[in-house]
Amino acid sequence: MKRNALTLVIGSILLLIFGLLLFFFQVRQTEVALVTTFGKPTRDITEPGLYLKWPWPIQKVLKFDKRIQNFEEKFEEAQTRDGYNILIRVYAGWRINDPKLFRERFNGSVAKAQTDLEGLIRSAKLAVVGQHPFSHFISADEKQLKFVDIENEMLQSVQPAAKGNYGVEISFLNIKKLGLPESITQKVFDRMREERQRFVQKLQAEGQREAINIQSAADRDRAKVLAEAEAEATRIRGEAEAEAAKSYSVFEQNPELAILLLKINALELSLKDRATLILDQRTPPFDLLNVPARSTRSGEK
Amino acid sequence: MSDHDHDHPPSHPPAAPRRDAAMPVAQAETASPPPPSGGDFIEDAGSKALSEALRSSFNIVKVIMVILILVFFASGVFTVAPNQRAVIFRFGKARGTAAEQLLGPGLHWAWPYPIDEVKMIPVGQIQTARSTAGWYSISPEAEALGQQPEAVPSLNPATEGYTLTADGNIIHVRASLRYRISDPLSYAFNFVAASNVVQNALDNALFYASAQFKVDRALRDDVAAFKETIRSRVAQLVTTQNLGIVLDPADVEVVAPVYVRSAFNDVLAAEQDKNKAVNAARGYENALLSKAQGEATAIINQGQGDRSRLVQSAASEARYMTERLPEYQRDPHSFRQRLLTETWMRILTNASDKFVLLERANGGASELRLLLSREPEKASSTQTNQP
Repeated sequence: MKRNALTLVIGSILLLIFGLLLFFFQVRQTEVALVTTFGKPTRDITEPGLYLKWPWPIQKVLKFDKRIQNFEEKFEEAQTRDGYNILIRVYAGWRINDPKLFRERFNGSVAKAQTDLEGLIRSAKLAVVGQHPFSHFISADEKQLKFVDIENEMLQSVQPAAKGNYGVEISFLNIKKLGLPESITQKVFDRMREERQRFVQKLQAEGQREAINIQSAADRDRAKVLAEAEAEATRIRGEAEAEAAKSYSVFEQNPELAILLLKINALELSLKDRATLILDQRTPPFDLLNVPARSTRSGEK
Repeated sequence: MSDHDHDHPPSHPPAAPRRDAAMPVAQAETASPPPPSGGDFIEDAGSKALSEALRSSFNIVKVIMVILILVFFASGVFTVAPNQRAVIFRFGKARGTAAEQLLGPGLHWAWPYPIDEVKMIPVGQIQTARSTAGWYSISPEAEALGQQPEAVPSLNPATEGYTLTADGNIIHVRASLRYRISDPLSYAFNFVAASNVVQNALDNALFYASAQFKVDRALRDDVAAFKETIRSRVAQLVTTQNLGIVLDPADVEVVAPVYVRSAFNDVLAAEQDKNKAVNAARGYENALLSKAQGEATAIINQGQGDRSRLVQSAASEARYMTERLPEYQRDPHSFRQRLLTETWMRILTNASDKFVLLERANGGASELRLLLSREPEKASSTQTNQP
């Protein structure tokens, strides 16, 4: 009997486990589940946890990944409103938010969903690019630049369709790459070169101009400084003359003597240095040589 | 029993081993009763041995069962490494709330699989996202050798990466961004590949930043702002996308395309030339002005010198005259003669050459022809004409 009881306990535990496995299922944090009854979808489960269901032949549980999937599409040409061809590539993050619709549409295949999403995103991308001039993509002017607005427009234009038709929520959509067709890059390079050459010329001209400005200003300043100094020196001399004139007032007492002294001074100064003198005997003291003929003393008048 | 950490959703497999383990027990139980009933009639050694064997094997099975149960519970023990956090999912739902959801390093226990599920998340580790969406194509070997790609006159968009600046120029940009996971739950369980999302955000930021910077600002004038724009753009995307990471400053490299690089270098050279010219001019200015200052001072000094000389000589002359005046007044003629003679004496003493011409007999002036030396100014001949 003891053994029978043990058998019973073990058996019932096994049965319980088996039953639990048949009637319960769990949904992970990263999953959404769809319960089908006889193949017909009857219940969406988006919250994680433990759930009840009828065993297999009646109800079936389908689980989908509800994490955000990455999507990147091709780098391809699109035309802007003002006729520029640009290359643009976007990426998106999407997640399944309506398992029923998702299963219906793609039979639960993420790969198939990506293919359809590509078409949807691509047409939205081309349409949005076509509504904006090139200056909305790149511009130093904040008001002109519509980079973020373009991204938002794309996102908003794909969201309803993705939700309504695919059972998919597009969480974000951004530009991944932006470029120009190869033939245009050549022109851009040419333009860049020309621009650089212009800069070089401008810099050279600026350098010369600045140097000349500085030099001429320096010359001018120098002339000014010297002129001022000359003026000052002249003023000083003038003062000196005035001062000297006071001293010379003494000369007025006897102009004759004054002139004599000045003359003698001038004579001495003019013959001061390395002079060659040619004199005749009338010049004192050589008039001493002039003894015999006339006894008159030269200079005596 | 150790398959609690497998990823695939299993509903039946874990149950199977337990059933297998239980079956022999059930068989042993049902098989053991017959021997006692049959044992009364046949007491042969064979059946005894059989029943002994069955009993001992039943015991072994019981021991194995106990061990299995122990193993079952022990399998719920797990360790969390220092650079990891663990989350226990009970029936698929994260246990606890907010910060309590994350189990720190150490030893932990959870129910084995169908009830609990343990996920390890790496944290603290610094992750790096690199973007070369805006960089030219170059092999890692060539890069390591410091080689530059060939200068091609156009860029094939399929192979060459570049970004467009606000003024429509082409530049190459690449960036690497380090980040740490701040919200492991979001990072690990909301995204199929969160690192790809970060990478895409970084790609986006390169084009976003380039689109609003002119080429000179991005390349040279304001590289710091350019970097910061990239970083803040990534930060903004990461926040709106709820990635649960924090960013370190971005490491950004910006260069001009190889084909036009020489033109950019020319501009640099021209700038340096300009600076050189301006500096030379400033040098000239400084030298000239300080020299001019010196000259000006000299001029003024000279003026002052002249002044004192003039004033003093005037004073001394005046004094001289005042002193001599009485003498002159006494006898003007002899005073004059004396003074003149004194002066002549001094002059004749200093003069280098002296010629005295004697008067001709007829009283006429004698004629003199001179060959003047090469220093005419100083050695000027002087014919004094003293009456």
